[in-house]
Amino acid sequence: MVKSLLEVKNLCTYFRTTKGIVKAVDNVSFCVEKGETIAIIGESGCGKSSLAKSIIRLLPRNVHTYIGEVYLEGVDLLKLDEKKMNEIRWKKISMVSQAALNSLNPVIKVGQQVAEPLIIHEGVSKKVALERAKKALSMVGIPESFADRYPFELSGGMKQRAIIAMALITDPDIIILDEPTSALDVLTQASIMNMLKIIKEKTVKTFIFITHDIAISSELADKVAVMYAGQIVELANAEKFYKTPLHPYSIKLMASVPTLRTDKKLEFIPGTPPSLIDPPKTCRFAERCPWKFEKCKNEPPLVMVNDSYVKCWLYESKGR
Amino acid sequence: MYIKVFHHNNYGRVPEKMKRELLAFLKYSAKRAVTIMVVVALAVYATIIIANMGGYVDEIIKIETRNSIYQSVFQNPAYQSLSTEEKRQMAEDLYQQELKALGLDRPFIFRSVGYLTSALSMELGKAMYLTSDSGSKAVRNIIVERLPSTILLFTTVNLMLFFLSLIGGLFISRKYGSKLDKIVVTLSPLSAIPGWFYGIFLILIFASWLGWLPYGGLVDVPPPTNPFDYALSVLKHMILPVFSWLLAYSFIQVYTRRTFFLMFSSEDYVEMAKAKGLPPRLIERRYILRPTLPPIITEFALTLIGSWMGAIVTERVFNWPGIGTLFYQAASMMDSPVVIGEVTIYAYLLAITVFILDIVYAIVDPRIRAGVTGA
Amino acid sequence: MSIKRLKETFKQLIAYKSAVVGLCILGFIMGLSIYAVITIPYEEAVKAWRLGEDVSINNPRNAAPSWINFFRQKKLPETMVMDTLKSGSNARKIIIPRETLSALRIEFSFEFNYDDFPSEINLFLTSKYNEAAPYITINWTKPNGATIRLKELVVKGTDRYYISIDNELAKKLRLYLSEKVGQEIPYEIPPHMSLFAVEDESILKPETAQVLKGKYRMVIEGILFGGESDVDARLVVYGKVFGLAGTDHLRRYLVIGLLWGAPIAVAFGVLASVSISFIQMIIAAVSAWYGKWADMLLQKATEFMMILPFLPILMMISIFYKISIWVLLIVVIALSIFGSGVKTYRAMFLQVKELPYIEAAQAYGASNFRIIFRYMIPKVLPTIIPSLVLSVSGFVFLEAALAILGLGDPVAPTWGKIINDAYDKGALYQGYYYWVLEPSLLLVLTSLGFALLGFALDKIFNPKLREM
Repeated sequence: MVKSLLEVKNLCTYFRTTKGIVKAVDNVSFCVEKGETIAIIGESGCGKSSLAKSIIRLLPRNVHTYIGEVYLEGVDLLKLDEKKMNEIRWKKISMVSQAALNSLNPVIKVGQQVAEPLIIHEGVSKKVALERAKKALSMVGIPESFADRYPFELSGGMKQRAIIAMALITDPDIIILDEPTSALDVLTQASIMNMLKIIKEKTVKTFIFITHDIAISSELADKVAVMYAGQIVELANAEKFYKTPLHPYSIKLMASVPTLRTDKKLEFIPGTPPSLIDPPKTCRFAERCPWKFEKCKNEPPLVMVNDSYVKCWLYESKGR
Repeated sequence: MYIKVFHHNNYGRVPEKMKRELLAFLKYSAKRAVTIMVVVALAVYATIIIANMGGYVDEIIKIETRNSIYQSVFQNPAYQSLSTEEKRQMAEDLYQQELKALGLDRPFIFRSVGYLTSALSMELGKAMYLTSDSGSKAVRNIIVERLPSTILLFTTVNLMLFFLSLIGGLFISRKYGSKLDKIVVTLSPLSAIPGWFYGIFLILIFASWLGWLPYGGLVDVPPPTNPFDYALSVLKHMILPVFSWLLAYSFIQVYTRRTFFLMFSSEDYVEMAKAKGLPPRLIERRYILRPTLPPIITEFALTLIGSWMGAIVTERVFNWPGIGTLFYQAASMMDSPVVIGEVTIYAYLLAITVFILDIVYAIVDPRIRAGVTGA
Repeated sequence: MSIKRLKETFKQLIAYKSAVVGLCILGFIMGLSIYAVITIPYEEAVKAWRLGEDVSINNPRNAAPSWINFFRQKKLPETMVMDTLKSGSNARKIIIPRETLSALRIEFSFEFNYDDFPSEINLFLTSKYNEAAPYITINWTKPNGATIRLKELVVKGTDRYYISIDNELAKKLRLYLSEKVGQEIPYEIPPHMSLFAVEDESILKPETAQVLKGKYRMVIEGILFGGESDVDARLVVYGKVFGLAGTDHLRRYLVIGLLWGAPIAVAFGVLASVSISFIQMIIAAVSAWYGKWADMLLQKATEFMMILPFLPILMMISIFYKISIWVLLIVVIALSIFGSGVKTYRAMFLQVKELPYIEAAQAYGASNFRIIFRYMIPKVLPTIIPSLVLSVSGFVFLEAALAILGLGDPVAPTWGKIINDAYDKGALYQGYYYWVLEPSLLLVLTSLGFALLGFALDKIFNPKLREM
């Protein structure tokens, strides 16, 4: 079997806060193949962004625990020293973070910022880097003249595109997209998604697409991972997932999404997710699960059902 | 809008955008210059009013002049032969002449405007009581004589504090939570006690008790003739004043800068820079320092100018012959011309600095150039 | 501003050690202030401070605090007051009455066991008579039995005999001692030394002179003419230490000045700080809310005041007008209200103005006044509290600075004034370190107290800092 491009094994990231220890990423494992796009779906506060930051090792000061393994092309990123990690950042993995609207340095021209990684990582001259930056900008639909402008002169959508251009310019193997369209209006959202689709078709890129919006995720995903309360509760092939979700949470999620062509009564999930501080030892979704039974008092195992992984007692018998 | 396009020989077209920007910029600068001048004029005028106590000081001068003239006339042996009435008449004439010469015959309000115009054109007139070391009574000379010592001392101190706080703040913000960090935070409240107060105790310890350093003043008395020794002597005298300010203000300034940098390093674009794998030094320089430079520089420039007004109490404590001590002397003697002269110079300095800063700000921060930032 | 919020804040505050220290210090200073205000009303304190000499005539000049003896080997003397009018002091008065002439005998006796000489000796006499004033002779007996005739005089009404500066007596005693020792005493030994000295060679140098310890007596014998004549006397042997804090050049007990300095300093600082912050905030709010003309006008006024040099103008006003400390406070406030704080607060209010609930308030027809005072200001208030507390120290030292420069209120008993007096009288050259150190210590404590509290409050109230 071809070794995966990215393999995350038992990743745990806990944060220290005044209220206690937040277990944002609790024993998460998945892999991504080259050229694949995995969508990580979950609601706010389930730990998705922390997961993204954990992969690229950009954690804030109050990190308490950070263990596990993240293999990129066979190299465990967690074991690297900071200098080596810096070389990998952006060359092999790049990230487009949430709230990209403030991700550009306000006092430096856009073109220069997009060109920056080239100068740093590939030692390219300024002139050449700027040329490539302009090309990258036009690839994402921004006219080349805008390279000479400052971030405040760009609209929200354009800023987002610029950042995506920045993320692509060093031709990294993996690009993490953390809610790239949440702050934008629907029309801009659509155009950016289209752009990403084109990029996906034209080039062989691996995307990790994090979002709370199931509908959006379906446009790009080859694989879907559902995150709830810091854990991955389902990991499945995209087609299978969107047709027949397995985990109760996933089922409920799909039930709450309006469909265009069929008539559907929308459902919602009552209750709220558990706090990530000292999470319960039971199945974390149990409280809100309509199919809860006594086994759910314990943490469910990760069960494999026909190529998919589900973390639920309901499937215990079906898989292994 | 009608925009002309130039053809500069072979230089091609001047870009439209730049031309527009330049025009807007010039308009903005001119407006600022005018408003600042108005404020300066008002400030100097207010000082004139206060320094003359609304004309009261002039009354005092009048009375003094009158008395001295009357006395000199009545006691002058050359006039002994004249009758009392004649003497009185003569004295009165002389008095009126003197008033005219001093310009005191017109009411204060009119004169005050005259003072204002001459002050603003830097014609600062003559001091009433004070004289410069070289014997001149011209206010300008008196002030110019004292200015260098103040500038020397306070520019040195402020430069030291500036770089200390910048480098220290940056350094400590990297080591957030470390012991050094905690020490700085704990010692910041020392700034509650002003520098001059520390000065008193430093003098007590190092001059009075230990006798290592001088009590105050600019140089040893008598001053060394050799310029090198002179410089050394001045340096020796600067040690305590500089140290007293460092004691008081270095911790809090490092703390403030550090907090400032910490706040700015949690900005999203800094996160992004880190994600881009940029080396930390570059991030500091380009992503933390550069956006924060405008307010830092503004603060520094204003502090510097403010300190040139002579931290009056510090200069008094150390007997430093600068414009602070000059101010104290002038104010206690009610020597209004000197007081007004100093305030005028200060107002101009401040106005020029503010003006230059506005321009520098506009150059460094493109957002201001585009008029995006309102306040 | 509910009680719950206050309690919460207080709990957060206590978590910081520095805040606890600050609060303790402030508690101490407040305690001093309250004690001062309760025990000595302001007018009395000012009177005592101003009249100085007259009220505290029984105090020694420039005496160090008594507890200094704890650290010294050579114990400095305390002051002893013996008064015929006060029973229980070591004064005994006997009048043997006759018809026309009565004999008077007043005897003061005391033990003097200190290692150093008194600083001064004064005798205060009052007499009552009809026609002829009483006539007295004063004799002094040392423990070794030597009796010296000090003076003979007629007491008319109130009289004072400054024994220590009686030159004739000094010469007489010097001669006497020179004979006793067999050598001429090479310096002008003052009576308060010669009357207490061991009469041997040690007296030849003032540094080596020793105190003769034991029982001393002063006997006043006199003749009273007429039945109603009477004489009362008060002997004060001034020591070199006095009380908790010592005395100054005008014999004023420093504790009064130090105690009263506390409420004055705190009142000045807090009043200045609070008034300025609040007025600045209101100005900024009005400026931000009404915009246009009001905004421009107020902003110009602010820039004008910022160019006007604060300290020089303050100095000029206080020199020209000789103002009291409370007028000074008003001037300080007037000069500061258009300061840089206005610009900062205005920026904050401009942000607050855009908040949706302000819009909502407008929608339901709230008056401008209501919006400013009930909605905008309370939002910004927590952020200004730290700087409010922190600036108190600045004002306390401002007042002290003016006093030290000699420009403050000439009669108010403030710490700065005490330091100013000390400097004027060359305290540091004469070794009266306590005179400078005591008020300085209190100044430092007070400002540190506020600073510690302010910094801790800053960490709590400043939203950006809270994340750290």
